[in-house]
Amino acid sequence: MIARTTARIRGWGRDLMDWMEERTGIVSLTEKLLYEPTPARGRWLYTLGSATLFLITLQFLTGILLLFYYVPTTDNAWDSIHYIMTQAYFGRLIRGMHFWSANLLLFVIGLHMVRTFLSGSYKAPREMNWVVGVFLILIVTIMAFSGYALRWDQEGFWAWEVGAMISSYTPLIGSWVITTLLGGDTAGPATLSRVFALHVWLLPAVLAPLIGVHLYLLRKHGEFGATFEYSERLAALRKRRQMEETFGSVEEDGQVADAGDHSQEG
Amino acid sequence: MVDIRYGPREPVEEGEVVTEENVFDHYDEPQGFFPGQVVADLTVSTFLLAIVVVLAYAVPAPLTEPMDISTTVYVPRPEWFFFFLDQWLLYFPGAALIAVGDVIIPGLFVILLLAIPWLDKEPAYSPARRPFVTVVGLLVITVIVLNMLLALLRIVNFTGGTPAG
Ligand code: HEM
Repeated sequence: MIARTTARIRGWGRDLMDWMEERTGIVSLTEKLLYEPTPARGRWLYTLGSATLFLITLQFLTGILLLFYYVPTTDNAWDSIHYIMTQAYFGRLIRGMHFWSANLLLFVIGLHMVRTFLSGSYKAPREMNWVVGVFLILIVTIMAFSGYALRWDQEGFWAWEVGAMISSYTPLIGSWVITTLLGGDTAGPATLSRVFALHVWLLPAVLAPLIGVHLYLLRKHGEFGATFEYSERLAALRKRRQMEETFGSVEEDGQVADAGDHSQEG
Repeated sequence: MVDIRYGPREPVEEGEVVTEENVFDHYDEPQGFFPGQVVADLTVSTFLLAIVVVLAYAVPAPLTEPMDISTTVYVPRPEWFFFFLDQWLLYFPGAALIAVGDVIIPGLFVILLLAIPWLDKEPAYSPARRPFVTVVGLLVITVIVLNMLLALLRIVNFTGGTPAG
């Protein structure tokens, strides 16, 4: 009886999977994504990218929760944050997570960048992954900067004001930059609206698809990792070249192998 | 994919000729993204989540006095990730040079960052085999970190008023 029921349930499960696969291709896609080969040796180094992704996701989630209480007007912004910290359920936790995860994020994204730089992961065909990455780190930094100003407290506001003043020295477009950042010639209610629009709408709207592109490119080319993931293959290549230098042997297709110095080995 | 599920292949197959073109085709030791990498990723993420939750309670997110635009005594202070730019300004004093220190040089630096894949023409990947790029990179990181520390020292030792002013 139990065996028959289990078999029937399994059958339904299979039918449902087949049905979904036929209509959406979800099963083969999941399989492709889950079982893609990745390098085994340096796996802890390659967690820096996913840690960045995790912290950004945490930022999106806690940020959305903060919006349940945050009021982006000069009269109420500070009070609403004060309310979150003292009255709202788990307000201190959610805001604390948003704050600390933002700081950790900047640190971890920097480490991820240094890792990919040192392992030369930006080399062909992964150049665009690096380029997209540079835009990601810039956007993340501006998000952090604008987040401080949203508090509308002395620290955050004056940091924004000074930042805006400094950027007003940008050659040619300085005056446009400052009016855009302050929402006018001087700081006021329009400034907070600008900061809010940047932090909550514009920058996330650019950031999210760019992260998608970054991950798409990652999957397209596969994780490069670092050269120690290929040391045995590199050793075989070196050995073959030495043999060719000594004996001048030929490759499979009959061409004389070039033992010159345009090797990619690391 | 097949290689993973039916047991990993040898780093170099019997009779395979390893060339410059195919040397990076697959890893010596591959693992499936799931569960190998996923477990490592989840471990790190769980650890980070724990740190963030503990810090959220142990060191509450700051909120200073409400913004007061009429203040004349408040001393603005940059966020830690801009300490470097703040310190940098000291080397470019006066209104005329602000743009050079905090706009033009950082702007050129970003362009340089974007161009790295095309500037680094060394065929090797390992940092030890492309010493020029590695040394320049490490120097840049050192300069940034040192300047951050200098700014931090300056801010901590600042006696001309309190940030909460
Ligand atoms: C929102 C920010 C970012 C996210 C979510 C992200 C995510 C990831 C993930 C999950 C990986 C694969 C795992 C790994 O290699 O660590 C990766 C790889 C990579 N990332 Fe990022 N990343 C971000 C920012 C950056 C930045 C700032 C750079 C550099 C400027 C960068 C350059 C790269 C490169 C070149 C790779 C390929 C590494 C390889 O194949 O070995 N990423 N990224």
